[in-house]
Amino acid sequence: MLIMSDLKDEYKHLLPLLPALLIVPILSIMGFESYEVAYLIILAPFLAFPTILIIGQIFNGQEKWKENLKEGGIIGLGSLLISFSVSFWIIIDYLTESVKFQSDSVATWFDWISFEVLQSDYTVTETTRILGVGVWIDSVTLMLLFVATFLCFLICWFSLGYMNTDPINEDRNHRFYAEFVLFAMGMFGMVLADSFLWLFIFWEIMGLCSYLLIGFYFWKDSAAYAAKKAFITTRVGDVFLMIGLLILYDIYGSLEFSVVFADPSLNGTVDSDKLFWALLMLFIGAVGKSAQFPLHVWLPDAMEGPTPVSALIHAATMVNAGLYLVARMVPFVDVSSHGVAGLDELGLIIAYIGGITAFMAASIAFVQNDIKKVLAYSTMSQLAYIFTGLGVSLWFYNHGKIEAATLVFGGSMFHLFNHAMAKGMLFMASGSVIHEVHHAHDHLHDEGTGENHDFDPQDMRNMGGLAAKMPVTSTAMMIGSMSIIGIPLIGGFWSKEAIVAKTWKASLDYEPMMMGPAILVLLTAGMTGFYMSRMWFMTFAGEPKNDVVNHVHESTPWIKEPLILLSIISAIGGFALSVLGIVKWLAKPYKYEFGIHEDSVFDQIIYELEHAFLPDDPNLRIVGWATIFLSLIVGPIVAARVHGGKLQDGESSNPLVSWLIFISDKFGSQDVSEMANSSLSEALQKRLYFDDFYEWVISKSIIPFSSFAAWFDKNIIDGAIKLIESSSVVGSMQIRRVTTGKARDYILMTAVGALSIFTLIWGVNG
Amino acid sequence: MIEPSWIVALGAILFGIGLLGTFYHKNAIVVLMCIELMLNAANLNFVAAASHYGDVDGWVFTAIAIAIAAAEVAIGLAILLSMYSTQETISLEAANKLRN
Repeated sequence: MLIMSDLKDEYKHLLPLLPALLIVPILSIMGFESYEVAYLIILAPFLAFPTILIIGQIFNGQEKWKENLKEGGIIGLGSLLISFSVSFWIIIDYLTESVKFQSDSVATWFDWISFEVLQSDYTVTETTRILGVGVWIDSVTLMLLFVATFLCFLICWFSLGYMNTDPINEDRNHRFYAEFVLFAMGMFGMVLADSFLWLFIFWEIMGLCSYLLIGFYFWKDSAAYAAKKAFITTRVGDVFLMIGLLILYDIYGSLEFSVVFADPSLNGTVDSDKLFWALLMLFIGAVGKSAQFPLHVWLPDAMEGPTPVSALIHAATMVNAGLYLVARMVPFVDVSSHGVAGLDELGLIIAYIGGITAFMAASIAFVQNDIKKVLAYSTMSQLAYIFTGLGVSLWFYNHGKIEAATLVFGGSMFHLFNHAMAKGMLFMASGSVIHEVHHAHDHLHDEGTGENHDFDPQDMRNMGGLAAKMPVTSTAMMIGSMSIIGIPLIGGFWSKEAIVAKTWKASLDYEPMMMGPAILVLLTAGMTGFYMSRMWFMTFAGEPKNDVVNHVHESTPWIKEPLILLSIISAIGGFALSVLGIVKWLAKPYKYEFGIHEDSVFDQIIYELEHAFLPDDPNLRIVGWATIFLSLIVGPIVAARVHGGKLQDGESSNPLVSWLIFISDKFGSQDVSEMANSSLSEALQKRLYFDDFYEWVISKSIIPFSSFAAWFDKNIIDGAIKLIESSSVVGSMQIRRVTTGKARDYILMTAVGALSIFTLIWGVNG
Repeated sequence: MIEPSWIVALGAILFGIGLLGTFYHKNAIVVLMCIELMLNAANLNFVAAASHYGDVDGWVFTAIAIAIAAAEVAIGLAILLSMYSTQETISLEAANKLRN
C-alpha cells in the first residue's frame, strides 16, 4: 500500500512530459498555422509506437525503465499529450477564426498516387490526381478529434495505475503501450482523413490494434477467442465497406472528400440506385465497427481485454468510427445543396437497425452480472441511439427538412460526445472497482483466508456496499450512469432528448414507417434507466455480498484523476455545451457561430430549458415527458426495489451517494428469483442465441466449404505444382548427360546450333 | 580478275576444313591451327568483299583481325603449356575437367 510521500514520488515521473507542452507555443511563435501542423497529431503516436517497442525490448525488466518510464507509459503519454495539445490548438483556432478553414480540403501536403492519362491518340494530356495526403477539418472532425485525443490521453494516464500495478502484466507493458499508441494513431488519422481511402486505411489499423489489445492476455483461451471473433466479425463489415468504396470510386472517379462532396449529384446525372447501394455498403461497414445488430456479437466478448482497452476502444473511440462514417454521408443526401433525392430508404434502414439494436442490447443488459458486460451492452445500446438519430437526420435531409435534419444530426453527434465522455469514464470506474476488488482478494488469499480460487473480480454478485470503500469511484460511476440514463440536466439528457423527440416528430408528422424506431428508442430510455441503476446499486449499495469487499481500499495512484475530470465534464458538459449551441454548430460547419446567441447567458439558458422541457409541438411535449418519466422514475425505481439497500452499519460515503442509497432503501425490496429463472431470462443470458446461431451457420456452411478448399489446395493445386517439380527433376537428369565436359563436344554443339540458326534465317528470308 | 564468288567459296572450304579439324583431332595444337584456319577463312571473305565493293573497310578489319589472332595464339599456346605442365599431355580427351 502506498503512503502519501510515495504518491508524490509517483507523480514526479510526469516531469519529462513538460517539454511536450511547449510544442504548441513554439510552433505558433514560429508562424505556423494550426492546421498546417495537424499531421503532428498523427505523427507523435506513430513515432512513439516503434520507440516504445524497441526500447522496451532492449531495457525490459530494468529498474529505471519500470519505475521512471513506467515501461513505456510515460513515452506514450507524452506523444498523446502532443496530439491533444495540437488538437486543442486547432479547435481554439477554428472557434475563433473559422474563416481560415472554409476551403474545401483544409490542407493538402502532397499527391500520393497520380496518373498521367494516355489518350486514344497516344498523347499524354493530363495528370489525374487519384489520391492526396491532407487533412479535412470541420466541426464533426473537431468534436471527434477532441473526444479521441482527450480520452486517449486520460485512458493512458489511467493505464499507468491500472496496468503497471498488476503483477500479471509485469514486463509486458511495453507491448500494451505500443499497441495503445498505434491504436491512437489510427483513430486520429481516421478522424482527420481527407478521403475515404485514408479513412479506410486508418480504420483497418484500428481493427488490427483492437485485435492485438483484446488478445493481450493471449494465453487465456477466452481472450484469444474473443480477439479472433472481434477481428473476423468486423472484417465481415469491412468487406462490404470496401465494396461500397469501389462503387463510390466508380461513380465519382475519386475518393477524396473535396472531389466527392463538391457535387455528389454530378449535376443531377448520378444514378441514385447505384449511390444507394454504395452508401448501404458503407453503412454495413459501420455496423460491423460500431457493433450494431446483426454484427454486434463481438463487442461483449471483447471485454476480455484489459479494462483500459475496453474504455479506449470499445466505448470511447473505435466504436465511434462507424458513426463518423455515417455522419459523413450527409452531403450525399442533403437535397438542399447538391445531394441526391430518393435515398430516404437509407435513413429508414439506419434508423431501424439503430432502434432494434438499442432495444435488444438494453434487454440483454438486464441480466448481465459481469460489470463490464453491462457496460458493453450499454455501449451498443447508446451507439444505436446515435445511429437512429443519424438515420432520422438522413431521412430529413433527403426530404429537404433542413431545420429538423440539422437539429437531430447535431443532437446525434452531441450524444456521441456525451456518451464517449461518460462511457470512457464508466469503464475506467469499473476498472477501478475490478482492480481494487482483485487486489483485496489477492491480499486475503496471501494471508491464507481466501480459499476461493474461482473468484471473479468482475462479477457484481461478489460486490455490494462498495460505496463506503470507494467514495470517488462510486460518485464518478453515479454521474456517468446518470449521463447515460439521461437524468434531466445531466450530460446525455440534452442529446438523447433531441434524438427521441425528432424520431417521434418524423414518425408523427411525415413518415409512419418511423414509428418502429420511435417506439423502440422511447422504451429503451426506460430500460437504460433500469440496467444502469441496477449495475450501480448491485455494485455500490446494500450489504457486501462477499467478504472481500471489506478489504477494498481506493489507493492506487493515477486512477482517480481521470475519473474526477471526466465526472465534471459529464455532469456539466452537456448543459454548458448545449447552451453554447453545439447542436447547431455541429450540423452547420462554417455557418453557425459557436457561442451565446440570445441577449445574455441567462436568456440562452432559459431558451434551452424551454426547448428541452416545453417544446411548442404538443406531441413532442408528451414524448419528452414520457422519456423523462421512463428514464428518471420507472427504470431507477424498479432497479432500486430489486437491488437497492442500506450500507453496513456505521459506514457512509459522500452526502450525494449516501442520500441516493438511503432513498433506494425506501422502495423496499422485491424478490425476482422467479423471474430470473424464466425462459426469457435464460434467452437473455444466452444473448438471445445470436452467438449460437452464428456458430451453427458457420459450422454448417463455412466450415465444410473451408475443408473442401483445404482439400482442393492440398491435392489439386499443390498436386499440379508437385507434378511440374518432379517432371523437371527427371528431365534435367536426362539433359545432364549431354554435358560431357569435352571441348570438342561443345564445339560440335555450337557449330550445329549456328548452322541450324543460319538455316532457319535463310529459310525464312529466302 | 577472279570472281568474288570463287574467293568466297575458297573461304567456305577452308572454314569447313578448319571446323572438321577441330572435331576430329585430339591434339590441342592441331585444333588451335584449325581455329586459325577458320579465322583466316573469315578474313578471306572480308578481303573478297572489300575488293568487290572497292572499299577499304574490309582491309582494315582484316589487318586488325590478324593482329588479334596473333594475340589469341599467344594466349592459346600459354594455356597449352600450362596444361602440359600439369597433366603431361595436350590431348583434348584429358581436358574434360569442366564437367562437375
